[in-house]
Amino acid sequence: MRKPDTNIRLAVTGIGIICSIGSNAEEVWAAIEQSRGGIGPLTTFGDEKFTTDIAAEVHADFASDLFEHGSEMKRLSRTDLLAIKAAGEAVSQADLGATTPVPRERTVVCTGTSTGGLLEGESYFFERLIRGAEKTSASRVLQQPTSGPSDAVAKTLQLGGGVLSNATACASGGAAIGMAADLLRSGHVDSALAGGSDALCRLTYSGFNVLGAVDPAPCTPFGADRKGITLGEGAAYIVLERWDDAVARGARILAELGGYGASCDAHHPTAPVEDGRGAAAAMRGALRDGGSMESEVDYINAHGTGTLLNDSAETRAILSTVGSEVPASSTKSFFGHTLGAAGGLEAVITVMALQHQLAPPTLRLYSRAEDCTLDYVPLTPRPMAMKQALSNTFGFGGSNVSLLFRAS
Amino acid sequence: MSKSSRVAIEGIGLVAPAATGSDQLAQLLTEGRSGIEMVERFDTSSLRGHKAGLVTGFQAKQFIAPGKMRRMNTLSRQAVAATRMARTDAGMEENPYDAAEIGVALGTTFGPVQTSVDYLREYVEKGSSLAPPQLFAESVANAPGSHIAIEFDHRGFNLTFTQRESSALAATMFACSQIVKGTVKAAISVGVEEINDITFSVLDKIGALSSSGTTAEESRPFDRDRNGMIVGEGAAAFVLDGAERSRGSAYGFYSGFGIARDRTASISNWGTGADAVVRAMSDALLDAEIAIDDVDAVWASANGSLAGDRLEAIALRQLFRTAIPPVIATKSYFGEYAGAGALHLATAAIAMRRQWVPASLGFERAESGLELPVNKVGRPHPMRNILVNSLSAGGGIICAVISSQP
Repeated sequence: MRKPDTNIRLAVTGIGIICSIGSNAEEVWAAIEQSRGGIGPLTTFGDEKFTTDIAAEVHADFASDLFEHGSEMKRLSRTDLLAIKAAGEAVSQADLGATTPVPRERTVVCTGTSTGGLLEGESYFFERLIRGAEKTSASRVLQQPTSGPSDAVAKTLQLGGGVLSNATACASGGAAIGMAADLLRSGHVDSALAGGSDALCRLTYSGFNVLGAVDPAPCTPFGADRKGITLGEGAAYIVLERWDDAVARGARILAELGGYGASCDAHHPTAPVEDGRGAAAAMRGALRDGGSMESEVDYINAHGTGTLLNDSAETRAILSTVGSEVPASSTKSFFGHTLGAAGGLEAVITVMALQHQLAPPTLRLYSRAEDCTLDYVPLTPRPMAMKQALSNTFGFGGSNVSLLFRAS
Repeated sequence: MSKSSRVAIEGIGLVAPAATGSDQLAQLLTEGRSGIEMVERFDTSSLRGHKAGLVTGFQAKQFIAPGKMRRMNTLSRQAVAATRMARTDAGMEENPYDAAEIGVALGTTFGPVQTSVDYLREYVEKGSSLAPPQLFAESVANAPGSHIAIEFDHRGFNLTFTQRESSALAATMFACSQIVKGTVKAAISVGVEEINDITFSVLDKIGALSSSGTTAEESRPFDRDRNGMIVGEGAAAFVLDGAERSRGSAYGFYSGFGIARDRTASISNWGTGADAVVRAMSDALLDAEIAIDDVDAVWASANGSLAGDRLEAIALRQLFRTAIPPVIATKSYFGEYAGAGALHLATAAIAMRRQWVPASLGFERAESGLELPVNKVGRPHPMRNILVNSLSAGGGIICAVISSQP
């Protein structure tokens, strides 16, 4: 069995993203530069009432131009469609200007999602309750499994390297990128499309509310008055290739994926361990995987959800790993917590931060909490020299993933 | 690429239809007895299919403390129980590892569908603000993996793979890659699945399940009269360790993996691109550094579906040409999705240790032009390497090689 060789450098040659602040990388970065968030009144579930009523939704009509024929998207879930939109952008960019395109036959799709097509699954369930199983069409529920986005992306983009889906709660998107890295480093595939996708659904919107984990106002990660998360939706993918292959293809290299680390708190089904040791282990793992030192990290795109427990634990993890001087911001303050997609979105944001040498800010952070003592880049973006950056994603079940990127 | 190495299967634990633990599964295989029965858990009278491989009589309290059990759904209970059995089988209690050096990779196709249904039922009856938070916490697909980590203090990676029929093999592939990479010393690889009335009825409605018609409702992998699959559930867990640390009691050794996708497949069915299946099988053999004629048995993915079985049969004939080794189809023992594919893996590991191949229940005669040496009778058979296939609807393909030697 071939060992994933960490001496093999990995290039990011394409990025694609859709979320509440934009339908592509250019729009999303413009919103970051302008400190323009995308949180507003919840509209997805019509008149249904919840304890809180805001979200970071994708309002753009993004799906209508994805297919030539409307029939092709008939059975796809909203999560699938978000994934196809972002993945398509990433592959297009990876092909742009290259002498040869991304090798479709040897490209694997690795997707993280928390609920896949559950939004459509819920509609099926409610209709089934009212009309009975026999009169309820099963066609829309077929894409409910969390393998749906990978399969839909691979089918739409005609990719033949394999499909690998994971549903590791909010760490899913980051985990997908890590898996892709090792498949490339062990030579099983020649390129990878990796990221995450999640649409809002009732179960998660209601569920986080009943847990008391949702802030009634737009979230303020690391803030003194923070009360929880704001739920969001979106998708993002990166195209990964072995560095030498990307150079040989004449592709434009946007950044380097140095490595990744994964760990588990083994502490509680929904709460992080207070001292942040699990998160710290993932960050150290990423640095070890990438052959970097703690002192070489210039910026951290934090998980920064806005919950009391996460932000405190993550702060401790960062302090114990890279110290107190490294700026760490939460872009969830722009587009909410997109759950399984978060690792993908925040990886793309980190790549863009390295490209533009600009640290995205944490919005609405007028006063940081007593237990959050780092530099969180409050309110406005900060131009700064960055060679290496970590992107953190942590999830229910204590699963932690950290990604290390380097400027190209 | 770096030097290759192998991963030992040191312990197996399982909760299967008609079997708890690897000894009972071995007995089931020896007797050629299927765990598939008429469904009694829910009403199938309005459906075409009526059979499944369901777990009955499993006593979680034999494996989990009552206080902890109350916080776990069925998937979590079975996954934790299977892991406890696997750890005992591997002697892990006597040879403890550092907690940070053990990872958990779990596979599940549908995840905790029943827990989501239970939550949504409360959502409808009590309102969105009064649904039970405990059910929400258990509705996430990685809840079983989380419980395993908490129960046994495993602090390495903890990831949940959801690649349809290939979920358990995907989890195993990742776990093995991390052991050879050195990010963990050992890993627990688990597959777990639960079949409920909704999953069953949706699969029935789209015509995926076997049903009575011109032929009886039955699981018949590769048979010319097959008319669909029969579904199953349960869990299987494996303790995986570096081959160099194996203490001589391993079931077998993972030596290679291959991955590909059939580009002719639709998003929810098998396609016709046998070349992709051949590519994944060949990649696994290459990864294992073995030749085609080093393969002594094939653990086929076949589940009785018309398209999937045909695709695999064509690919096997294409790869092996005239020298096809015995082909074993195990889905007729406990159904497709059983342990998200992990029970299929368990039978291969048990067979490797015993050097004995089970009968492929339900197979009588092959489709014309797709003849394969499908093994019909349980018998001793010397095996150096087993090629294990998993072809999932949607086109995903993962293959593995289990070898007898480290």
